[in-house]
Amino acid sequence: MRVLVTGSTGFVGAYTVAEALHAGHDVTALVRPASKAPFAALADHPRLTLARADLRDRRSLDGLFDEIDVVIHLAAAKSGDFATQFAGTVLSTENLLAAIDGSPVTRLVAVSTFSVYDYSHLKAGSVIDETTPIDLHPTRRDEYAQTKLLQEQLYRAEMERREVVILRPGMIYGRDNLWHALLGAELGPLFLRIGSRATLPMTYVENCVAAMVAAIDAPGVASETINIVDDDLPTQAEYVAALERQTEIPSSIPVPWPLMKLAATTISAVNNRFLDGRAKFPGIVVPEKLDGRFKPFRYNNDRARRLLGWAPQYTLAQAFSRSLSDTDLVVERAGSA
Amino acid sequence: MVEPESGTGPRLRAAVIGTGGISKEHLRFLAGSPRADLVGVCDMSPIAVSHAATTYGTTAYATVDEMLAGARPEVVHVLTPPTTHVALSELCLAAGADVICEKPITLGAADLERLLAFADDAGRRICENHNYRFNPEVLELDSLVESGVLGRVGEVEVRMGLPVNDPDGRFGDPNLPSPIHQLPAGVIHDFITHLTYLVDNFTPGVEWLTVDSRWSNHGGVAHVAVDDLDSILVGDGPDGAVHARIRFSALLAPDCFEITVRGTEGYAQVELFSGRVSRVIPRPGGKQLSPIVNMMVGGATMFAGGPRSLKRKIMQQGPYVGLERFLALTYTALAAGTELPVTPADMLATSRLIDRLVAGRSVGAAPEVVS
Repeated sequence: MRVLVTGSTGFVGAYTVAEALHAGHDVTALVRPASKAPFAALADHPRLTLARADLRDRRSLDGLFDEIDVVIHLAAAKSGDFATQFAGTVLSTENLLAAIDGSPVTRLVAVSTFSVYDYSHLKAGSVIDETTPIDLHPTRRDEYAQTKLLQEQLYRAEMERREVVILRPGMIYGRDNLWHALLGAELGPLFLRIGSRATLPMTYVENCVAAMVAAIDAPGVASETINIVDDDLPTQAEYVAALERQTEIPSSIPVPWPLMKLAATTISAVNNRFLDGRAKFPGIVVPEKLDGRFKPFRYNNDRARRLLGWAPQYTLAQAFSRSLSDTDLVVERAGSA
Repeated sequence: MVEPESGTGPRLRAAVIGTGGISKEHLRFLAGSPRADLVGVCDMSPIAVSHAATTYGTTAYATVDEMLAGARPEVVHVLTPPTTHVALSELCLAAGADVICEKPITLGAADLERLLAFADDAGRRICENHNYRFNPEVLELDSLVESGVLGRVGEVEVRMGLPVNDPDGRFGDPNLPSPIHQLPAGVIHDFITHLTYLVDNFTPGVEWLTVDSRWSNHGGVAHVAVDDLDSILVGDGPDGAVHARIRFSALLAPDCFEITVRGTEGYAQVELFSGRVSRVIPRPGGKQLSPIVNMMVGGATMFAGGPRSLKRKIMQQGPYVGLERFLALTYTALAAGTELPVTPADMLATSRLIDRLVAGRSVGAAPEVVS
């Protein structure tokens, strides 16, 4: 298949390109105009092509998809204010969909996120799977969740025109991304590690991209939504302990989930009662944002296994070992031909 | 100036063109104002206009023509890129709507004169957003000047520092160079209206005899063209000579937006990003004790400013706080048929001074001095 990967120079994108090459596809890596020497180590790969464009600029996408069968859409803005993330995630997706209209592209592998779920209306400890309701009123969620929800609206509308499979990975971890947002939050100079007993909905990057690449040509996945998490998910305490055995980790202060929830609920009540809900506080004391990151739930990957024929290859220990090794994992996986 | 009213009075049918960053401030005002009924929003992006319409409870339109015909607004907010302002404003004026336009309303005074004439011919009114004139700190400065405590105003400095070269920012992003860099003042054109009307605000009746502007690209970012402006103005006022300085820097920290007004008796300074206000004025105790009293009062003011600044941050009262007041005053004036808070004369004075600031500047030029 002729596959184009957006967001290809990002953390997940580079692994996705490598995995798609490994699977034998002809890969076009979409990189931004100012990217410096992207995929230099794979410059001689015979099935890798670079294309330069910015998804926020609709005109720059003209003709880009004329010889593409499948798009894996990873590009998104993960930081910045709402306008920045709206442009980088929502408008970019709108432009992408306009650009593939009339092209040979038959399938869009649309990468979404676990952040779209409506955590605040779910009972703690319940199972989150693809049937779990998404957040329909996310005004108090962070910009990332809000914009990814809008992006999913575009995906669902696109399902009327072509095959779209929505993948919702949990927290993707790997090299240089082992200490992540589900472990806690910075509050001034402190790092608060919140909710140590919660199971972490995570997927190791090499496992995750294998699922994405499986979605390129898996039969019967059109219009499906599929969660991607690994097997044997650790609790936060187990993850941190395992990580600590292999590498140095930042110092942090453990904070029990119920205590943090009580603080957030109290502050929210005061805000609503006395400040008309207009006050803006750090995300970890906003109940909806706190729930989205630290509320304890259970997860499964049944649908990913069934529809994609996928199984996570690496365990947590293997993932740490590979992440902390000296091997260039992208080059190793891409191979030379 | 007309005071904004919050109670009864006619409600005007209002619509918005453009859903970019500043639209949130306008839409929030319109959704909650007793003076306006938000009847439509329009943008080229279907998802952007749909999101804005859903968020603020109004109707989404794909084109301006559809919105003008379908929503029949009495007031339209034009919030699109500067190069589109004239054409869109004329469409709205011709359709019978008054217009509130984001800055810069036009790219030169000649265009503004034509647009104002167009509005006159259509029997409608048009107003440029000069929001910072309505921030509480600027109003406090106004009061100090009017009270005479600073003496005769002889010097005004307006200084802004913003990292417009930041490659992760909307102006410095090398992947998608902003069209703003093609405007006469490059990226500084996005701010120069504010800098200029604030000078005008404290120098009424002054005729600027010389305007020396040095435009530079100190950051060396190729696509940014210019990132620094240092303008010195010398003029004749009703009561004597007046100096002004307009300063924009992309490299100096921290981010700031300062106005300093110096008079023959003392001076006052406000910083609009933090809300800091300081004044050095004659105090009880005469010349000997005034410096000491000023330092003590200044220290106390700075100390009290900490909690005030924290409160502003928590309550999301950012530097746009003046926009709400500007819009409230404008709607009151439009409904009553009275003088707008930003008059055509204000807009023309600002636009003509901007013309002089940018005169002779060529895009991408090396540092230069223009007189």
